[in-house]
Amino acid sequence: MSVPELDPVIHAQARLRVVAALSTLPEGDRLTFPRLQEILSMTAGNLSVHLRKLEDAGYVEVTKTHHGRTPATLLRLSRRGRLAFEEYTVAVRTLLDGHPTGAEPAHD
Amino acid sequence: MNDMHAATDEDRPPASPAESLRLIREQRAHTERSLTPDPRLVYWPWSFAWLVGFGLLFLEYGSDGDGPVEMPTWLPLTMLFALMAVAVVVMSVGLFRAARQVAGESTAKGTMYGIAWAFGFAGLGLTNGYLADFLPRAQAGLLWAASSMGLVSVLYIAGAAIWYDRTMFLLGCWLALVNVAGVVAGPGWQALIISLAGGGGGFVFGFVAWLRLARRR
Repeated sequence: MSVPELDPVIHAQARLRVVAALSTLPEGDRLTFPRLQEILSMTAGNLSVHLRKLEDAGYVEVTKTHHGRTPATLLRLSRRGRLAFEEYTVAVRTLLDGHPTGAEPAHD
Repeated sequence: MNDMHAATDEDRPPASPAESLRLIREQRAHTERSLTPDPRLVYWPWSFAWLVGFGLLFLEYGSDGDGPVEMPTWLPLTMLFALMAVAVVVMSVGLFRAARQVAGESTAKGTMYGIAWAFGFAGLGLTNGYLADFLPRAQAGLLWAASSMGLVSVLYIAGAAIWYDRTMFLLGCWLALVNVAGVVAGPGWQALIISLAGGGGGFVFGFVAWLRLARRR
């Protein structure tokens, strides 16, 4: 069996956590930057850097909007990002037990 | 909060496939806990309202319209509805806390669901207020109690359908059954049944839901 390639964009601790956190959101929802930052307990600078990389790869959609007069940044996984995360999970499982065990990213 | 980012270089890949899976599992569980309303805030204020409110109703009316405890006739129902109003507030705090800074369909669903509660109770309050004047005291009490419990139970079931929440669904069904059993048993007994089975059941379901959420890994 060939060893699966692990997506280098996701295969980094911080970005894996960002993607895993965003993957729990229902598809119609977005999270603000500060809330994501709070959930991940990362610094704003650190999170920005990783989000930029994920956005460049087309995995995260960044929407700038306004709540009243306050600017807000809304985040969610793109379709491509969801797919990449699922493929990553399958690849990791394959590495772990030698055979793929379905595309569910995590069980409840 | 979590120790997953203790690594010095966060750009580094996880140490092993097992480590990757652990990171994913823990981060997803942590995020779900943060985005899910605390079940204790959602269920327990209602349970308390039913336990105390319906408990007082039974103590006043007893099984034959004349209960063991003397109290002003307005007290039990006023207490019940005051505690239910408090429950609405506490539940809303729990829902808003989980939904804060989330935009999109979930927020819209939550708002529509909130409107269902508001319209439901406004209509019920007006109708019962009008009808209760024509009924004997015990039957008026039964009308208020049974219709409000029935409404709460179907709203729980509807909420369970919206968020696909099994615990909420089971609690809604349990309350609906308890309510029907209460009406069949008649005034007085109905209050006792709902106080113990409804209020007690709500505490148990809330505890189970909270435990499940806390243990999710």
